[in-house]
Amino acid sequence: MNNDGKGKRFESIGQFLAFQQELISSRDPKRRLVLVCRGTSCLYANKSDRIVEAAKREIEKRGMAGQVEVKATGCLGFCEQGPIVLIRPQGIFYPRVKEKDVPRIVEESVLQGRAVEELLYTDPSTGTKVVYEGEIPFYRKQMPLVFGHNKEIDPKNIDDYIAIGGYKALARVLSEMTPEQVIDIVKASGLRGRGGGGFPTGRKWESCRKAKGERKFVICNADEGDPGAYMDRSLLEGNPHSVLEGMIIGAFAIGCEEGFIYVRQEYPLAVEHFRMALQQAEERGLLGENILGTGMKFRVKIARGGGAFVCGESTALMASIEGKPGEPRAKHIHTVERGLWDLPTNLNNVETWANVPLIINRGADWYASLGTEKSKGTKIFSLVGKVNNTGLVEVPMGITLREIIYDIGGGIKEGKRFKAVQTGGPSGGCVPESLIDLPVDFERLTEAGSMMGSGGMIVMDEENCMVDIARYFTGFLKDESCGKCTTCREGLVQMYAILTEITEGKGTEEDLSTLEDLCWLIAEGSLCQLGGSAPNPVLSTLRYFRSEYEAHVRDKRCPAGVCKALVRYYIDQDKCTGCTLCLKRCPQGAIEGERKQVHRIVPEKCVKCGICREVCNFGAVVRE
Amino acid sequence: MARIGVFVCWCGANIASTVDVKRVAEASAGIPGVVRSVEYKYMCSDPGQEMIREAIRERKLTGVVVAACSPRMHEVTFRRAAREAGLNPYLLEMANIREQCSWVHPDRKEATLKAIDLVRLMVEKVKRNTPLYEIRVPVTQRCLVIGGGIAGIQTALDIAEGGKEVVLVEKDPSIGGHMAQLSETFPTLDCSQCILTPKMVEVRQHSKIKLYTYSEVEEVSGYVGNFKVKIKKKARSVDLEKCTGCGECMNACLTRNQPEIRPPKDARDGLTAEEMEVVEEFIARYGAEPSSLIQVLQDVNLRFRYLPENILRYLAQRLGVSLPKVYHVATFYTAFSLQPRGEHTIKVCLGTACHARGAPLVLAEMERVLGIRPGHTTPDLKFSLETVNCVGCCALGPVVVVDNDYHSVKPSKVEALLSRYQ
Repeated sequence: MNNDGKGKRFESIGQFLAFQQELISSRDPKRRLVLVCRGTSCLYANKSDRIVEAAKREIEKRGMAGQVEVKATGCLGFCEQGPIVLIRPQGIFYPRVKEKDVPRIVEESVLQGRAVEELLYTDPSTGTKVVYEGEIPFYRKQMPLVFGHNKEIDPKNIDDYIAIGGYKALARVLSEMTPEQVIDIVKASGLRGRGGGGFPTGRKWESCRKAKGERKFVICNADEGDPGAYMDRSLLEGNPHSVLEGMIIGAFAIGCEEGFIYVRQEYPLAVEHFRMALQQAEERGLLGENILGTGMKFRVKIARGGGAFVCGESTALMASIEGKPGEPRAKHIHTVERGLWDLPTNLNNVETWANVPLIINRGADWYASLGTEKSKGTKIFSLVGKVNNTGLVEVPMGITLREIIYDIGGGIKEGKRFKAVQTGGPSGGCVPESLIDLPVDFERLTEAGSMMGSGGMIVMDEENCMVDIARYFTGFLKDESCGKCTTCREGLVQMYAILTEITEGKGTEEDLSTLEDLCWLIAEGSLCQLGGSAPNPVLSTLRYFRSEYEAHVRDKRCPAGVCKALVRYYIDQDKCTGCTLCLKRCPQGAIEGERKQVHRIVPEKCVKCGICREVCNFGAVVRE
Repeated sequence: MARIGVFVCWCGANIASTVDVKRVAEASAGIPGVVRSVEYKYMCSDPGQEMIREAIRERKLTGVVVAACSPRMHEVTFRRAAREAGLNPYLLEMANIREQCSWVHPDRKEATLKAIDLVRLMVEKVKRNTPLYEIRVPVTQRCLVIGGGIAGIQTALDIAEGGKEVVLVEKDPSIGGHMAQLSETFPTLDCSQCILTPKMVEVRQHSKIKLYTYSEVEEVSGYVGNFKVKIKKKARSVDLEKCTGCGECMNACLTRNQPEIRPPKDARDGLTAEEMEVVEEFIARYGAEPSSLIQVLQDVNLRFRYLPENILRYLAQRLGVSLPKVYHVATFYTAFSLQPRGEHTIKVCLGTACHARGAPLVLAEMERVLGIRPGHTTPDLKFSLETVNCVGCCALGPVVVVDNDYHSVKPSKVEALLSRYQ
């Protein structure tokens, strides 16, 4: 039933396909499963392993171990509601499961097929309970072609991947196609890089294939540096084989025997799962020497990052694999011709690789029918920030921001007002409410002053200050700059200093035009896109939220109430009940008052930590 | 009986424009013991000095007060005048009614009153002065310079060139100091050693300089002009006359651990047997090549909680990467620490989603409670605080990771969280 992925080596394509057929037919589609999300969030923060153990125990206790399988899967996407438990075959969906709920869930749902009413998800817009996964609003409008498989498989078991049709694409490629045909299919599909650059993947493969040299490399960029984006991590943790299969197909198309995956340092679970995937694939003959008996050779090594954002840039990444500091180089000669160790190298993002088996299996025409004219297929976004339904969403290109944020995301948390959505990470920009019907597409987002980026989508509300956000991104880039180019290294320091002064009420009108000048200078003088796109956060916020900047410099006011120097906290006399809670919790002892008397915040002592406002049960602490 | 003369100077307009000098002279005439009190435009001029001499002779003065500028200016001048007139020069004092009065007080009335007081003070002093006589004391024509850095070297050379004997004492085995360790000097960007070493050679060869290296001053007694100094010559066991500095003895030495001079020549000697075993295991995973550096450092950093210097030196040697390049890599990537980390590592996520949900306030509270800033460790080595840009748990934001535990934290919950790890 649940073996650990060990099995016989496939000596030929035929042997593999036969095994796959048998495996699929041996698995009853209606078999009983308890799926528990074991993505990093749910695992480490919500301790979902305990839920897995509890479920196994309860099933043991009832003597059902042979009939019900408990499967720990990768991230199931609806992170706001984790840890998630799915009961199959019915598809009953349980959010925010606690260890103590497990016995009831097993007793009623697993054994008797009934839903436990109190533990179900409540749709906030209707107030009613939702039983089945397919009806959860968060999932309804998604098209989880790539990400959806996470719930079908235990990432630590290659058989699960094979049982859903995994490696069939590879078998087809090796038995029926030439490398050039593979490249043509990828080109025809219109697949573009999912890491942020959006470069046509088929074209990249073709250039690498044509490049001079015997020894070439394929690399999977799993550095995922954009803060707020974690799609790649969840793909690697939840379905590592989909990425690996894509890489093997790519290696075949390009004609190379060596591959690397560069995983950022902060993703130990992804490294662990990918390492297991490599091991199991090699054991079964899907990787290594003589793949599926065809004579193809391909090996993948894992390289870990050292905590540098700039290593997401392809040339910096390659320098890092070579054991050097991650400093980018100018790309007048592209990496497909001279990359790792000066040899032809094809680098693609995790999600890009994961799309490849899909395209081979379902065909280029089918893929090209999804999305918009220039942006084909689907994209996984990490929808985070001030939105109700935080998590990973996969949608077809061309869907509007409104649909993502409201239909899927469930609107703004705590009923606040939407202000902006930040896309593209530190290289992107903020899109305001006026553009919320913008279709998500490479070109349209760039026109609006932002960019697709790797897929981070951070929703902001009226309590986020756009100047503070611009300062945040500039500070991030300033720290992550490798230092090579003077304009980036020094320019970002100056931009940060100016933005800091503005948030402290020391900014002037002239500072705004200085910022614009600096933006131009930094973009012009930098040789990589860290510097090249560094101005975007500042320029886009100046473009759409100039009035907010002006409030800071002219009126010395922060309308959102974020910039500490420009806000003050005070207690509303009418609402204060004198409960002394804030007084007790204030770390600076800055609140005075007697029991049952209106309290007062002493401005000289207040450091604006916000704890009083946080703990007050009466909403009596005002920040303005 | 005291017979004091008071001479109040105008100093052109310097004093007179603020202090009413005539008034000061008048008031001084009333001080008991003052037999002459005049004012004049420039006391330091020849006629001014002659006034003093004349008064001493004719009025048989027993003491003089010149109310004028700072004694640093003309005390010598006036005392010479006194001596010429037959009065012991130390019976002449100056009252500074310029730098300490007219130049610093704008109010005429107040400045004048103060000047009168200053003069009166000096008159009283002079009444109590005793005559002093200069004596000649022989000074030993040798000097001791302590410290053989560039300052000591140049001092020794200057004095020796002036014809005097110099003894130069330096505690290190060689003179040169910090300048010998620099590559360039500011602002000319001269090659530091190129301009230093000729001087070092000159010191060694100068006939008037006696050089004691690897020596220290033990005791100083005596007085200015006649000091007695005890110098300890530390045991070198080397005959300096014969030594050529080839270094063969260092290579041959069986107990050569001279961390104060330089680390062991072979970096293997810097590691214990356990450390060696662990590091070699890491190297075996990736291969002993330059490209394995980052991966090996990751494992070292995890195991030892930081990158110890002796291991970095060993890796440089073993993997074939120069030590500066190893440090370049070790300092480029934020995952690495060159200082030992605390028992618990706290990482506050400052990713965009967490930032939008108030992570800076959480960090501020964390800093307040721990008393340290990110990148540092608490003095009791319990906690190290860092910031990280996104751990990919945005739904939980703001996120704080302690070791391997992920927490969703608000500022009000920080203290409670930390107490769980005490």
